[in-house]
Amino acid sequence: MQTHTHEEQMVTERSERRAPNVDMTPMIDCVFLLIIFFMLATTFAPLPGIRVKLPPPGQPSREKPKGLILRISNPVGGSDEGVMILNNEIVSLDNAFGVFMNAAPEAKDMLIIQAGRQVVHDQIIKIMDRAKRAGVVKIGFAMVQ
Amino acid sequence: MKLSKSKGSKMPQLPMEPLVDCVFLLLIFFMISNILKIPPPFTVDLPESKARSEFARKRYNVYIHESGQVSVDDVRMADLDAMFNYLLLKKKEIETLIIRADKNAEHGVVVDVMERAKQAEIDNLALAISEDDYKGM
Repeated sequence: MQTHTHEEQMVTERSERRAPNVDMTPMIDCVFLLIIFFMLATTFAPLPGIRVKLPPPGQPSREKPKGLILRISNPVGGSDEGVMILNNEIVSLDNAFGVFMNAAPEAKDMLIIQAGRQVVHDQIIKIMDRAKRAGVVKIGFAMVQ
Repeated sequence: MKLSKSKGSKMPQLPMEPLVDCVFLLLIFFMISNILKIPPPFTVDLPESKARSEFARKRYNVYIHESGQVSVDDVRMADLDAMFNYLLLKKKEIETLIIRADKNAEHGVVVDVMERAKQAEIDNLALAISEDDYKGM
């Protein structure tokens, strides 16, 4: 009983006193170090990319789609680029930009790329780059069966 | 004055608590934003392009290796059906599906991935390009 009252007295005494002085400095040092680490490890720059559209799934429509259609054949004979045909005309990566620029404005709304399976992805991106820069709004893909 | 300082008089008591609160908040912020960086199981060499749009860095990017291997973030996909099921599960969290295809990857695989994404009703797709400055072709 006596000890109990003694303890109670201790508690009230403690609560009246100021909080014990804990040394915060090492913890703050640590936390700053962590902040600097996470700051350096974080990237905020947005991711660059090219938006693409896929034609709606299901049966391909009978009517001829509007816009430009670019066909790319599978690369053959050691070359790593497929032959590209736009409206029955062979285009190369060098003159594609000009061809897209000269296309009718209403056709420039949509470009459909129909490429063989073995075409290298780099070539597709390069031709998409030319088309985007020449003002083609949407780019879609169709698979060669 | 000099004497009393060198004797080690206690530093003035600055209130540290607001600073600590602030610093912890920053720490938590950077920790969470850091989760967005998940390395793929293989290296992907992205193609270069001058024309580019910008997309937010989010989770669930599709990586395509030049061998045709596919992974979603760091999860390797056995085949495209596995990828389709995975995307279907996560589709609510995907706003724009970013496809990071190696520049030597086959176009067929890229289109297959895009078709599966379309089947999973993910309509916004983008092909990632290299973050390095365009060096010309």
